[in-house]
Amino acid sequence: MLSLRFYRTLLFCYPAPFRHEYGAAMCSAFSEQLTEARRSGGWRAETAVWIETIFDLFLIAPQEHYQVIRQDLRYAIRTLMAQPGFAAVAILSLALGIGANTAIFSLLNSVLMSALPVRNPQELVLLTNPSSSGVAQGSQTNERSLLTYTEFLQLRDEAAVFSSMMACQSQLDRIEARVDGGPLEEIRTRMVSAEYFTTLGVPAALGRTFAADDGPTAPNAVISYAYWQRRFGRSATILGTKVAIRKQVFSIIGVAPPAFFGETVGQRPDFWLPLTQQPAILPGRDWLHDKPGDMEKTMWLHVMGRLKPGVTIDKAQAAANVIFQQGLAAYYGSALTPEARKEFLNQRLLLRPAATGVSQLRGQFAEPLTMLLAAAGLVLLIAAANLCNLQLARATSRTREFAVRLALGAGRGRLTRQLLTESMLIAVLGGIAGFAAAWVIRAALLRLASGAIDLPGAPDARVLAFAFALTLAAGLILGLLPSLRTGSIHAATGLKEQGRGLAGSVAWQRVGKLVVVGQLALSLPLLIGAGLLVQTLRNIRNVDLGFAREQLLIVEVDAETAAYEPARRLPLFERLLDRIRAVPGVRSATYSNNGLFSGSDSGDEVIVEGYTRKGNGDRGSRYNHIGPNYFSTLGIPLLLGREINSKDLPSGTKVCVINEAFAKRFFAGRNPIGMHLTQAYANQRNTFEIIGVARNSRGNNLRGEVEHRYYVPAAQPVFPLQEASFAVRTLAEPSSVFANVRRVIIAEDPNLPITVSRPLADIIDDRIVQERLLAQLSIAFGVVALLLSAIGLYGVLAYGVARRTNEIGIRKALGAQHREIITMILRETGLLIAAGLITGGALAALGMRLIQSRLYGLQPTDPLAYAAAILLLIAVALFAAGLPAFRASRVDPLVALRYD
Amino acid sequence: MPPKTVNPDSLLPLQTAVFHILVALADRDRHGYSIMQDVSARTNGKVRLSAGTLYSSIHRMLEQGLIEELRESPDPDCTDERRRYYRLTTWGRRVAMAEAKRLSEMLSQARETGLIPNKP
Repeated sequence: MLSLRFYRTLLFCYPAPFRHEYGAAMCSAFSEQLTEARRSGGWRAETAVWIETIFDLFLIAPQEHYQVIRQDLRYAIRTLMAQPGFAAVAILSLALGIGANTAIFSLLNSVLMSALPVRNPQELVLLTNPSSSGVAQGSQTNERSLLTYTEFLQLRDEAAVFSSMMACQSQLDRIEARVDGGPLEEIRTRMVSAEYFTTLGVPAALGRTFAADDGPTAPNAVISYAYWQRRFGRSATILGTKVAIRKQVFSIIGVAPPAFFGETVGQRPDFWLPLTQQPAILPGRDWLHDKPGDMEKTMWLHVMGRLKPGVTIDKAQAAANVIFQQGLAAYYGSALTPEARKEFLNQRLLLRPAATGVSQLRGQFAEPLTMLLAAAGLVLLIAAANLCNLQLARATSRTREFAVRLALGAGRGRLTRQLLTESMLIAVLGGIAGFAAAWVIRAALLRLASGAIDLPGAPDARVLAFAFALTLAAGLILGLLPSLRTGSIHAATGLKEQGRGLAGSVAWQRVGKLVVVGQLALSLPLLIGAGLLVQTLRNIRNVDLGFAREQLLIVEVDAETAAYEPARRLPLFERLLDRIRAVPGVRSATYSNNGLFSGSDSGDEVIVEGYTRKGNGDRGSRYNHIGPNYFSTLGIPLLLGREINSKDLPSGTKVCVINEAFAKRFFAGRNPIGMHLTQAYANQRNTFEIIGVARNSRGNNLRGEVEHRYYVPAAQPVFPLQEASFAVRTLAEPSSVFANVRRVIIAEDPNLPITVSRPLADIIDDRIVQERLLAQLSIAFGVVALLLSAIGLYGVLAYGVARRTNEIGIRKALGAQHREIITMILRETGLLIAAGLITGGALAALGMRLIQSRLYGLQPTDPLAYAAAILLLIAVALFAAGLPAFRASRVDPLVALRYD
Repeated sequence: MPPKTVNPDSLLPLQTAVFHILVALADRDRHGYSIMQDVSARTNGKVRLSAGTLYSSIHRMLEQGLIEELRESPDPDCTDERRRYYRLTTWGRRVAMAEAKRLSEMLSQARETGLIPNKP
């Protein structure tokens, strides 16, 4: 008896219709089979029957389900083909929604979640800060961001917790090179240690990678697969090809595998070159040795280690820090006072899991992308809600069809299943189209980010799973309400239905209205958010730099790489300045060491005459080296004193100009002119007389307060200047003089690398890529959300009017005027809009707090953004309501009364 | 009901279970368990249909019109109301014969090549 009950339970694996039809007969056959087996063969035979039955179940039940699904699918396809307009709208809107979501998710996935395409990435740890890059000279307190080559060598040789370690340049270089004797071309390079590929566990796709026994000076190069494909058409004979990069001729020894882009997400080097070649690649610098005594460490490397089995990251961190501290103690030696020594030794390594690699993008884009994903999610929800309403309306108009099927014996479950299949079919088609659309949208997004992100393109399992989950969710949302709707159909009343809607459909229309209210409510925060972000973009674009950004060309040259001795650099910069000033179309020109919005900055301890320090956080200041007439060329007014000019010579009194913020901070209530400030680093001291106070200007950050800063003449440098960044004021567009400026620089010295040459406006535009991305996409999402909601509103109202044609006819027959009918429809609309606005306003008040950190120059409660969004929503909603209202007012009472 | 113009060959080859069920119903009408017993007996227990396979096949065969269900039990002594009886249709018989012919032709071909001896 027990076994039969178990068998009956097993029958639930079969589809319900099959079970209803044959369940009893199967139970009967099974029990007879079991009785017979027990009689003839005892428990052995009985067990055999059980095993066969269960095996059979696993085979047959899926087959039966497949049959039902196939039937449902065939029916669903027929239904959709009968209404191609509905099918197209549904699939297209889902494709857009799923596509936008998948695209943004795939970017988030690439930036945040994807593991590096290397062997066992979970064993890798990073000893440096993943969001740091560039070159820092001097020292650093607390957590160390980047390491020096000497520090890396020491860790590599002494740390026993790692099975291997590698170091690589933290920034990507763009260098001009001659490939195989051809013309100069720009290539992206990254210097790496010999252990780079072996530590990551990446074998070459062709040839070999670097080996520890290559010898320290072997000029080998490994190229990326993409570069191999692009430049050499994947020719197998490229091994041994010579590439001249600055002072060295490299030989290509191998090609990296296709998926490998390196350790930094968002960057794709063409060449990997040995770190030991640094003096040849970046001539004039020695970044390979920490020279004790000069106190200037060159920190420029990311260092990664592969943990030995069983070693935890904490243990590795402790062991690495012991070695690191020993190195620091030896380097800073006894040259310093005990206090200074204590401060210089206050540095430590923080180890982090490195499975997802290094990325400067992560900090920059994680938050904006998450915000965009949330917005895209809302848009998809609104789109799905629209389709849900459409499906609901269709289900209502199909009441008769369902009633007939119920009357003919179809189960209610069967009808639900049928509707869900239909919804799932729409969702799956939308999902497939959406997945394809995602790659187009993703490419467009990357273009919008204007090359700031260079990511691998292949979709991975996580993105697929995400798109699949969205599709499933969309299918369920689409099918849910309509399926509930069929639950209330009765065969008897449904058959009497004449296509107008039975009593129950009033309640269901209410559900439809609720959905519309929800759509309007979700659209409002999207619109407000878009308004806030667009205004933020405008504010940050128009932020007062303290000088005009238009008609300003920035050209940067690197004297150190061109092997100029420090003493010859100032004359070079002055000669270049003269040449540039003489170019037709140039109004004026100047230069500085760090340039404008270049990412470079200088800062040291500062001692200000007559100022008593208030604490340790009050001892530093940023500074810049500037050429003559810097302030007048840029157009920054001097508030006091004079600016630095060509008479401030190396041999003269050391002078400087401070900015307003500096004056306010250190000279509150005093006249700074004639006072002195002293730059201090380790044992170095440089004292300058303050000769002027310039108005605050921005040359580094667009956000935040202007930092206090002082400017010293390039002629009286604190340290040998490597580069000069020329700011060229032009009479017309900067592009008009671009070629000529370049020509005069080449005329001066054809070997002088020009590292930057762009209009300042473009440089700043690159800086606000996140703001641009957010503003443009949020506007797109806001508009799409609003349109979808308007369509939803139109749909519900139009359906309502059609359903009430009869009633409206009676009203008109009884003397109602056009206007009254229109007012009636609009009143109804007004209620929906009001409910949507109230809910949406509450949602916005909560949601906008989340984007506060992204706003600039306005509050999340900005009344203008709220007012604009609300007015826009009301206007569009009323427009959407207009057509049904107009149609209602045109109802002819005679026709309407015959309508039934 | 199958359209009369359909060629029985269009359904071939039949699934083993389907052919066995057709053969079991060839001499008389049977209920489900009786079909299972008959198939097992004829094949000396080598082929044993489980209830799932049996009714899944019957479901399909009814749709294809190969068999039909009897409204009343042909066995007046039968007490189990859950038993359902099936009968071979003319169409079913034609299909079964076509399948038998196909199998027999395959067998003769195998004999001609000497793969199997001429006489069993």
